[in-house]
Amino acid sequence: MKRQTLLALLAALLLALLAGCASANSEPAKDYPMNYGGRVTLRILSGSENRELEAILDDFAREKKINIEMEYRGSLDIMRGLQNGAPGYDAVWPASSLWLTAGDTGYKVKHAASVSVTPVVFGIRQSLAEELGFVGREVSVADLLDVIRSGRLRFCMTSATQSNSGCSAYIGFLYALLGGPEVITSEELADPALGEEITALLAGVDRSSGSSDWLKDLFLTGGYDAMVNYECLIISANQTLEERGEETLYAVYPYDGLSLADSPLGYLDNGDGAKEEAFLTLQDYLLSDEVQQRIQRTGRRTGYEGVAEENTDVFRAEWGIQPDRVLSPIRMPAADVLFECLDLYQTQFRKPSLTVYCLDYSGSMYGGGRQQLVAAMAQILIQENAAANLLQASAEDVNILIPFDSEARGVYTAAGNGAELEGLYAQVDAESTDGGTDLYAAAREALKVLQGYDLDRYTPAIILMTDGMSDGSYRSFRRDYEALGRDIPVFSIMFGDADPEQLEDLAELTHARVFDGRENLVEAFRSVKGYN
Amino acid sequence: MRSKMRLTGLLVLVAMMLLAGVYLLLGGGEKPVTLRGYVGGEKIDLLDDSAVQDILERKYRLTLDYVKAGSLDMVTADHAGRDFLFPSSQNALEYYQQVCGSPQRSEIIFNTPLVLYTRRPILEAFQARGLVQEQDGCYCIDMAGLVAEIEAGVTWADLGLPELYGTVAVNTTDPRRSNSGNLFAGLIANVLCGGVADQSNIESVLPRLRAIFDRLGYMESSSADLFDQFLKMGMGAKPIIAGYENQLLEFAIQNPDDWAKLGGDIVMLYPTPTVWSSHIYIALDEEGVRGIDALLDEEVQRLAWEKHGFRTGVAGTDSAASFGVEHVASSITRVAPIPNYETMERIIAYLG
Repeated sequence: MKRQTLLALLAALLLALLAGCASANSEPAKDYPMNYGGRVTLRILSGSENRELEAILDDFAREKKINIEMEYRGSLDIMRGLQNGAPGYDAVWPASSLWLTAGDTGYKVKHAASVSVTPVVFGIRQSLAEELGFVGREVSVADLLDVIRSGRLRFCMTSATQSNSGCSAYIGFLYALLGGPEVITSEELADPALGEEITALLAGVDRSSGSSDWLKDLFLTGGYDAMVNYECLIISANQTLEERGEETLYAVYPYDGLSLADSPLGYLDNGDGAKEEAFLTLQDYLLSDEVQQRIQRTGRRTGYEGVAEENTDVFRAEWGIQPDRVLSPIRMPAADVLFECLDLYQTQFRKPSLTVYCLDYSGSMYGGGRQQLVAAMAQILIQENAAANLLQASAEDVNILIPFDSEARGVYTAAGNGAELEGLYAQVDAESTDGGTDLYAAAREALKVLQGYDLDRYTPAIILMTDGMSDGSYRSFRRDYEALGRDIPVFSIMFGDADPEQLEDLAELTHARVFDGRENLVEAFRSVKGYN
Repeated sequence: MRSKMRLTGLLVLVAMMLLAGVYLLLGGGEKPVTLRGYVGGEKIDLLDDSAVQDILERKYRLTLDYVKAGSLDMVTADHAGRDFLFPSSQNALEYYQQVCGSPQRSEIIFNTPLVLYTRRPILEAFQARGLVQEQDGCYCIDMAGLVAEIEAGVTWADLGLPELYGTVAVNTTDPRRSNSGNLFAGLIANVLCGGVADQSNIESVLPRLRAIFDRLGYMESSSADLFDQFLKMGMGAKPIIAGYENQLLEFAIQNPDDWAKLGGDIVMLYPTPTVWSSHIYIALDEEGVRGIDALLDEEVQRLAWEKHGFRTGVAGTDSAASFGVEHVASSITRVAPIPNYETMERIIAYLG
């Protein structure tokens, strides 16, 4: 036996022993553990659209005895994570290689290869698409802009500064508004006329989201006309809609504003041979003919030959899906211009946010809880911090603070992105902890405050953070919410001993979602902010 | 007595044999070493090739552990704990010398010419336009003609390809970060100067050169990624890319099933004249030097051509047919030098 082999064996044995120790007092299970007792675990930082591949990943974990932990983030968040070396992860899997290249400043990514390709398209309710005259013909971005401007089309899209699909759509809009230049330049971005036009356009956004897969889920809660999303997620949404007997979406491919997501999976080299081998096993598995075919069944384009004949029942022509289309995308601007575009989106062009923070200052938040809360809010309200994650406020944003215990303690409002926002942070820091918990009282107060605004002008949201089982009455909140009759999401952040069920009820009622802040409150606040 | 001596002799012999065996097994005196370095993406399959790894391990007691990086990026990357750089151009060495001083040792390991990759419908459109000629069994593209089309803003629709959006452009990697893009910039500079670009003639063409690259927008930083995207994302996404000849030869030999499906559609065009990409190994420390002899090993060099498409000194290139790729040049004769380092530096500074 070669010495190296022997050493490797010893090392593997040692690792196995260490792994055994680690699992004895292991961390709480991640969101999506695919663990069948394998000795190696791959932790993958992934775009949310890959949630749909979980069944495939689960089979892999079982067959090859390699555990998979998926952590879902927006692609831009993945890029930022990568810029910081993405500690704790073994692989990255953003929606587009753009973010991989822009993020891998430390050259840690190895073996990157595209798993599948899917374009970003508009999915519009079939009857509306027909009414707008978009069925069975080529559609330009300008055609879409016309109907958006005239109020005939409202749509949902993800935040351009958090998620690849939203970013792609936004860049497509800019190209079209600039009259289809070969590439966007800084000078063109500075044109005030462009600013006005894109602002008017983004005012047509019904709902935003921090991730593409959740946008699809939101869409499926009903009541929306259209969404910008990946072709594969439009297909997936249609499968669900059809099962329910509801109207499906018609896919529109704007020929002068198309983007492709090439879904690159890359290994993060931390010098661990066992992990690298496990990664290559996973990559080979995903790129094998059999699994590529299975991935194609999920509505993603795989392989070199286009969509197989037998999958035309997935890529259905009557849904407007064009499997044979030559996908000819726009050119993404150079990195510096791209980030300028994103900065402008966040600070000027997007529909202004109207956010009410209902924060729990009950007695149980005393000490560490309160400290974490203040630190988390510092990431959002202190603009220097927010800028690092492209979460800055715009001059038109309104941020409102309602600290609560067994009742709402007060309402503090900060308009814009200047001194008032810092004042709001000072208030967050000044509140002391005391009393019981009634999140419903705080949320009802928030609804009352929101009534004082022209909600059509804003993307409104209530962000509720709580650490305990709440007193008070869900029913009274529900009554007020339904009386208001507006689509206002109540996102909640679960902390301490919060009752997930209470929060899920709110999320379901208001088409929102619950974020788990128990492990990392700062992270949870950042994520939720990306949704609005 | 005699038999006792004989027995002792035998025991000594056996002991010596055992010792020798152990000695040989443990590496013939030379300590097995893992060299760590930065490598241009287009050589990764070669370094991952188990046949190559075997030779390096068996004959030279070496394992090469690498991280992928652009040829120029790697020069300014953190060299702590690294033994070598393996970029894809001579200029990277000059850049290294300027930034870090003279290296422990450096050597050209193999070469491959810069080519353009495209698809059959585009080849046909180019032929119809007189931009591509078939010569000596390979397709040669008139770079001056192509540059003229690009500068004139000719659209794909103008060429009879309305399914492609936008204007004619060649996708390359970022010339500031990666070698194939850098070489392509040098090639275009040569075209614009009407000869080899140098410090005396480069200034006047820089604005035109920049305009050509500016309109590409976002550029990949690795030639391997760009090639992967070219193959997987279809004709619409990357109609033409600049890459290395070896990329396709390697792909075809390593993925025969995929190549059987793609072969009819993918076309390699040789710019006339083209430029060489010289894959040069830069040893950063004494241990790193061991990589040079190992990579120049005759067997490794043969594998480099036969399985990875790199043109080498030892391997005959008459065996091009074995790749199953049509229209491979039997020899690369029309080659222009790339502009010298100072000129390239000026180009990169201007593009920056």
